[in-house]
Amino acid sequence: MEILANVMLGFEVALQPANLFFCFMGVLIGTLVGVLPGLGPVAAMSLLLPTTFHLAPVSAVIMLSGIYYGAMYGGSTTSILVNIPGEAASVVTCLDGYQMARKGRAGAALGIAAFGSFIAGTLSILGLMLLAPLLAEVALKFGPPEYFCLMLLGLVIVTFLAGSSMPKALLMAAFGLFLGLIGMDIMTATPRFTFDMYFLMDGVGLVPVVMGLFGVSEVLLNVESKIKREVFETKIKGLLPNRRDWGDSIWPIIRGSVVGFFLGILPGGGAVISSFVSYGMEKKLSRHPEKFGTGVIEGVAGPESANNAAAGGAFIPLMTLGIPANAVMAMLLGALTIYGMQPGPMLIKQHPDLFWGVVTSMYIGNIMLLVLNLPLIGIWVKILKIPYEVLFPLILLFCLIGVFSLNNNVGEIGLMLFFGGVGYFMKKFNYEAAPLVLAMVLGPMMENALRQSLIMANGSAAIFFTRPISLAVALLVLILLVLPMLPWVKKKREVIAEIVE
Amino acid sequence: MKNNDQRSSLFWLVIGLSIVLYSSKYGLGTFSSPGPGFLPFMSGAAMVLLALIVFFQQFSRGRVDTLKSLWAHTRWPTVLMVMASLVFYAVLLRTLGFLLDTFVLTAFLLRVMEPLSWKKVLAGASGATLGSYAIFELWLEAQLPAGVLGF
Repeated sequence: MEILANVMLGFEVALQPANLFFCFMGVLIGTLVGVLPGLGPVAAMSLLLPTTFHLAPVSAVIMLSGIYYGAMYGGSTTSILVNIPGEAASVVTCLDGYQMARKGRAGAALGIAAFGSFIAGTLSILGLMLLAPLLAEVALKFGPPEYFCLMLLGLVIVTFLAGSSMPKALLMAAFGLFLGLIGMDIMTATPRFTFDMYFLMDGVGLVPVVMGLFGVSEVLLNVESKIKREVFETKIKGLLPNRRDWGDSIWPIIRGSVVGFFLGILPGGGAVISSFVSYGMEKKLSRHPEKFGTGVIEGVAGPESANNAAAGGAFIPLMTLGIPANAVMAMLLGALTIYGMQPGPMLIKQHPDLFWGVVTSMYIGNIMLLVLNLPLIGIWVKILKIPYEVLFPLILLFCLIGVFSLNNNVGEIGLMLFFGGVGYFMKKFNYEAAPLVLAMVLGPMMENALRQSLIMANGSAAIFFTRPISLAVALLVLILLVLPMLPWVKKKREVIAEIVE
Repeated sequence: MKNNDQRSSLFWLVIGLSIVLYSSKYGLGTFSSPGPGFLPFMSGAAMVLLALIVFFQQFSRGRVDTLKSLWAHTRWPTVLMVMASLVFYAVLLRTLGFLLDTFVLTAFLLRVMEPLSWKKVLAGASGATLGSYAIFELWLEAQLPAGVLGF
């Protein structure tokens, strides 16, 4: 019954008025950025990171997490009403969601997306509660060699799951690793690659890089193409799905939750991939697969549940191993470190109030999202109608001030703009930013683990292959690197890449 | 040069090579005690290797395209103007101060995509400036630079 006591502790923390407020702010902002095109959860979290410095760590993490899963909710709204996914994870929702809206069933689509997300969110929180403490227990046995291999595995999985070519994604990971190593070397106090720029001494700031890559570059791409957004003019009525809708959706929701949760644990675009997998699965299992794409409710219920469940699963590697699974989790890792907490197997033991408080706040946040998204849908539709030429100066302004207020340093604005340019060209030439950010965060941790391992082994790299866990992980890394070269895997990957595009 | 993957791989090749060369300057150390340049060297070397893989892979691919095709049907001058205005904003932030600098920037950005009427631009720019000032300076106490206006 230990878990019950823990959950009680969690609710005690999450139900404090201040934390309720920050949870609400988080899901509100999350829904907002989910609805707005060109501003995703990663950029929003980095934007708000500086404002959380004077909050209690628990409140800050509750708010930042809220942004993440809130954005998953909001993203579906734009997919259904405008056929533009607010988030990558809602791309598939467009297929049937928009068609439902055109048939005058926008209400039911929005409703099932919200309820599905709620159910999936709840299920994945249960999974998180059960699995995370167990995994943390196991992770306590890991030493530096295991950690090094696990981080390497994380990076390789991210690039393996990347939509575009694996060598290109790995290239980005290698560059990110390098960026993470810029700054003072901890062991010898040598400044590396700082070029006498003082603000690089502490390393390249995560916030300016992320804002540049995910915020500024996105705006640049949007201003060059004239996007016309037409909100589907329809009276949204009947948000409550009827009995038949429920009958059609309940199993897709449950299946989507399970698939999403486990794919979410894997590093990489868990939410995105799980939504695709869920859609494919429902189509395969359906008695009328030919109707998919014409507005069937299963095509909305499954993927929307899957991406929300994945958002929950993604917390597991961070909370148990201290290894972030995606760019959003990398932001959270950065935040936790700033508050002086070391994510990893000890986190749950040392800061039970943080872990259980955040987990239960997600439960409360899910209820808030239901209220925010269903009765208040009209407000979000209004926001959708704000033309982009009015919106983008505000987005840029917030990026500029957000980065500046971090350390009152103009140099960091420069850094953000630089990475804004880099990100713009990366998108043009089809390079992914996620492996870069992840590798950048992991860089210093990997360097430490590598050095400690080599010192432990007196300089013999054999240490990675003589300890059973690290050997198994290292083998997995090799397999994943070789796998894409096999013809049939290559073909499969190309098909997936096509679907993603 | 066949396509843009090949072109971009050359860029990363150069970056990777420079990292490799620079990091040896910081000391690679030995395997038993890796120096500050060790992992940067490895990451640079990995970049070189991967860039070469991308480069040679493209010879067996069918895709042929030009640099120009990436900017076809786009309003790239707008991108340049937006980027330039942001750089100016950063450079002038300390001298002009937050209020003035921000007002000028938002007014410019509001005009750059669609020429909104001046009335709307002025209203929007003052609203955005004062609003962000209220949030960041007054509420979050971010200490934005005062500049020539003195507050």
